Amino acid sequence: MDPVIRTEKLTKAYGSHRGIIDIDLEVTEGEAFGFLGPNGAGKTTTIRTLLDHIRPTSGRATIFGIETTVDPVGIHRRIGYLPGEFALYDKLTGGQTIEYFANLRGGVDATYQKQLLQRLDLDPSRKFKEYSKGNKQKVGLVVALQHRPDLLMLDEPTSGLDPLVQQTFYELIREAKAEGRTIFLSSHILSEVEKTCDRVAIIRDGRLVKVDRTEALRDLAHHEVELRFAGDPPMGAFAVLPGVSDVTADGNVLKMRVSGSITPVVREAAKYELLDFVSREPSLEETFLAQYGRGTAEAA
Amino acid sequence: MTSEVGRREAPIAPTITGPSLRSRIFGFGSIYGKTMRDSRRAVIATSIVLGLLLIGVSFTIVQQFNTPESRQELVNVVAAVPAILQGLAGKAINVGSLGGYLQYKYGTFLPEITSIWAIIALSGSLAIEARRGSMEFVSSTSTTRRRIALEKLGAHLTGQAIVAVVVFLSLLLVGQTVNGLPGDEITAEMAAGFAVWLFLLSVVAGAVAWACAPFVGRGSAAGIAGAVLFGGFIVNGYQAAIPALAPFANLTWFGWTANHVPLAGQMDWVMLLPVALVAIVLFVIGVEAFARRDIGATSPIPTPSLPRALVGLHGPTGRAIGQNLPSTIAWGLGIGLFGLAIAGSGKSFIDELGKATDFLKLLNQVFPGFDIKSVGGWLQLLYVEFGMVLAGLAAATLVSIWASDETSGRLEFLLASPLSRMRWVTSGGVAIITGAILVTIVAAVGIAVGAAIAGSEIGGPVLGSLVLALYAAASGGIGVAIGGVFRMSWAGPAVALITILTWFLDILAPAFNLPDVVHQLALTAHYGHTMLGQWDPAGIVASVVLAVGGVAIGALGFRRRDLQS
Repeated sequence: MDPVIRTEKLTKAYGSHRGIIDIDLEVTEGEAFGFLGPNGAGKTTTIRTLLDHIRPTSGRATIFGIETTVDPVGIHRRIGYLPGEFALYDKLTGGQTIEYFANLRGGVDATYQKQLLQRLDLDPSRKFKEYSKGNKQKVGLVVALQHRPDLLMLDEPTSGLDPLVQQTFYELIREAKAEGRTIFLSSHILSEVEKTCDRVAIIRDGRLVKVDRTEALRDLAHHEVELRFAGDPPMGAFAVLPGVSDVTADGNVLKMRVSGSITPVVREAAKYELLDFVSREPSLEETFLAQYGRGTAEAA
Repeated sequence: MTSEVGRREAPIAPTITGPSLRSRIFGFGSIYGKTMRDSRRAVIATSIVLGLLLIGVSFTIVQQFNTPESRQELVNVVAAVPAILQGLAGKAINVGSLGGYLQYKYGTFLPEITSIWAIIALSGSLAIEARRGSMEFVSSTSTTRRRIALEKLGAHLTGQAIVAVVVFLSLLLVGQTVNGLPGDEITAEMAAGFAVWLFLLSVVAGAVAWACAPFVGRGSAAGIAGAVLFGGFIVNGYQAAIPALAPFANLTWFGWTANHVPLAGQMDWVMLLPVALVAIVLFVIGVEAFARRDIGATSPIPTPSLPRALVGLHGPTGRAIGQNLPSTIAWGLGIGLFGLAIAGSGKSFIDELGKATDFLKLLNQVFPGFDIKSVGGWLQLLYVEFGMVLAGLAAATLVSIWASDETSGRLEFLLASPLSRMRWVTSGGVAIITGAILVTIVAAVGIAVGAAIAGSEIGGPVLGSLVLALYAAASGGIGVAIGGVFRMSWAGPAVALITILTWFLDILAPAFNLPDVVHQLALTAHYGHTMLGQWDPAGIVASVVLAVGGVAIGALGFRRRDLQS
């Protein structure tokens, strides 16, 4: 299957300021792709380059097989975009704003548009400048979603949304995915990516440091294991096991960090009388922190 | 744990240094300093504009009216100006002298310029920060709200004072160096009288906006202050022609200070006190309102919305035109009212001009072969030059509105739709040119009504006023080119700057005997005498090329550059 998004050594430099460097990505049709990174990592720069809002310094990117700098309008016809920061027309109502963008695109299903307004609980009769931050975000979401685009590019989409509306947003994303549409979601909220995405890329300091399936990324990370022994904990026996590190003892409790397979730890633990065995599955948050907190060599 | 705490060494006191005096005055050392820094461009620009204007005009006056006879003709012509314009043009006292003529011709306009600046600054100084959210941070520091307001106010008053000092020094310079006729000297007292009057008239207009802004918001406050400013100016000016207005003439500072004509040598210092007093009261109201009311909580005055058909939701060109429409109408009405006042007084002028035969001869030398004794001639003399400045500034406004798509971040959304960059620029360009035409059409209605009141033929002046559309469209094209190729945030200010520089070039090139080629750089020098039916094809062609070419260059330039976020 041809990728919907493909970048090859995509680089954007802002003079002496870092932008993005040698980004190689492939996003396939129908997948939900998470793009994770802390503030200033290069997420928005990547998206703006993909949209041809800014031009790459080197490398190239294609969307739907079209090079972004060659026919951006051809790409834009098939995408829905929600910028991370945006403004719209202060003097237009939310409804007029949505109508205007529907007219710019053409072919918007009015019933679906109305459904979106209802589901996101947006009053379209108020002027844009009168909306709260969350309601402005809802207008942006409707503008991005209303034409059922083949590719959704969402930059920090839940910013400002209350938890209930966030749930609605996740439902909409799941529906879009079920309909075979592709989603490219940039975020620094890991739980959001965990909930919605099949694969995740992590970007730091303008470079991609990891691309993997959401589950694989979690598995690749580590387990926090706690063993409560009936007697003194055999610290030395566990410290030498493959993948085990950071072994500490606290009374009769042994704590360790296990990377990769947990089987050697389970086998070793079976030799002793155990009162408790706790293996905590790491969250993406911890994976993310591990990725960012432990240097680049491992990741790169 | 306790013992650990007990063992802990006393922290070394950090070396905290307070902001320097310099940064407190100009910089990030205080709210005052930051406000001064933020307003530096406005202070410098206004100082330069007013200073150069006074100096340039003074040289022009002295050069053009260099004999006692020509001065007497000047006095006669000014005396011939109908009552309807006497107030708008200023009190005709001692107009045969340099100071008297300066006060008469420009003395009333300069306070308008500085008052507009004061209104814009003081209506938005607190309101803009409240709206964008930065006031939440500022007011959560240890600085009290009263102090925040006072520091911001103090900074603006300092800026106005700097401008007043520049005006004072410019007048002193002119008074001491211009080699004019006896009586042309401008004394320090006269210069100070003018500078203080200018300062007070500006700050009292700003004070109205300052006092209203916490209650009704920035836009409405600026509107109220603007209405008081221009209403007071017009009521005071027209009271002689329309006696029904006379009872209202003393409601504003224009009436109170009517007898303070400092450059003509007539002082009325006492009547400046009520102006200062009212300004102080309004400033106190504004400070207290800001201190006591919820931050950003205002009750804006409702304004009518555009009919749905004119909002422009069907495409980028319609949207751009719809976005411009309120400003287009406002500029058209403003320029139209100005045209109406001038054209409407044309008959009186023609009658009076018939009596000033010497001055008529002088005018016939400047406009050979034209019937200057007509409404068209009157408009050519008094309307076209300033009308084009206003048209240029209108174009700057329209360009800024178009540019705000990018500067505000809307363009991120717009260009993610199937709207090409080329189309966005050309749509904006078409909207700006359409706006220029609409401004002129609305203004032409004013001229038509004025000409009809004066009993003149209407067609000539109306057709002649189309020069405004040409100039505004050309200015708009330049703005689109600058925005497209370089930066959107530069586009509007660049057009305003070019308009002002062009005006200056028109005034100063003859005054300083600059080579004709320098004067020819001004586009306004190439239109002919359009109100008299004489059009110079060079100006028309240049305007069309600048308008269309500018949009084309902007579109091509914008294809090549990154969007600014």
